[in-house]
Amino acid sequence: MKTAAVLITAIVAQAFGDVCLTKGMKAIASLEAGSSSMSDSLSQVLHIAVQAFQSPMIWVGTLLLIVFFALFSAALSWADLSFVLPATAFGYVLNVAAGYYLLGESVSNTRWAGALIITLGVLFVSRSGQRALQAQPEKAHASGVIE
Amino acid sequence: MITALLVALVVLGGSAGDVFITKGMKQLGEISTLNIRRLIGLFGRAITNRHFLIGVFFMAVSYFSFLGALRLADLSLVLPATSISFVITTFAARLFLKETISPIRWAGILLVCLGVALISIPQP
Repeated sequence: MKTAAVLITAIVAQAFGDVCLTKGMKAIASLEAGSSSMSDSLSQVLHIAVQAFQSPMIWVGTLLLIVFFALFSAALSWADLSFVLPATAFGYVLNVAAGYYLLGESVSNTRWAGALIITLGVLFVSRSGQRALQAQPEKAHASGVIE
Repeated sequence: MITALLVALVVLGGSAGDVFITKGMKQLGEISTLNIRRLIGLFGRAITNRHFLIGVFFMAVSYFSFLGALRLADLSLVLPATSISFVITTFAARLFLKETISPIRWAGILLVCLGVALISIPQP
């Protein structure tokens, strides 16, 4: 139950973080678009970096991604990596949904199919979770001994 | 050729990063507190844990290889290719972290890998 709560919070933070970063970077890009064609000269990169640094949207997005990473790491302190990693892949599904509903992006059928398959995969993985979690304390102990 | 090498670095770097971060976090022990002082203490122990730091280093290698690969090849090639990392990381977890992966978990991971590849393919 703890694992589910932590991972769901992590995934939601990641999805909203990605939305904030996209909104923030798109706002900068549209400011830049008028000035010149896209070139990766150093001054241009620096200019974008400075603008990103001043954007509240990008700060919030970055903060949410830090929250994601902290919760992801926390979950790894007790759960299997082979459980946590595929479980967080549900974030891709939320990203597709957020892109569609919050950012007004068009989403192809292939992409919706991918989202559906990931959801199915995460359901499978979560069904395997119970057993892995019960085995966890022994494993953590065993690896501690090896160290 | 260099693109393939960079994509391999993206995938292997990411997997190595995940494995080392898991090792580091397992050394900290199960986190089961909401006490803010204890959490700050745990944060301090995490970012000074050698395995955790090596993991973050590999994550950085993976990220910069990703940026490098994007300079040479399209995102439409690089992003679906990296979906294989779910499978590679699972093998690494089995080998280096001694995790047992049940058939249903394997099935789920393969589905996730396929789904991520489908999502990453560029839209027409």
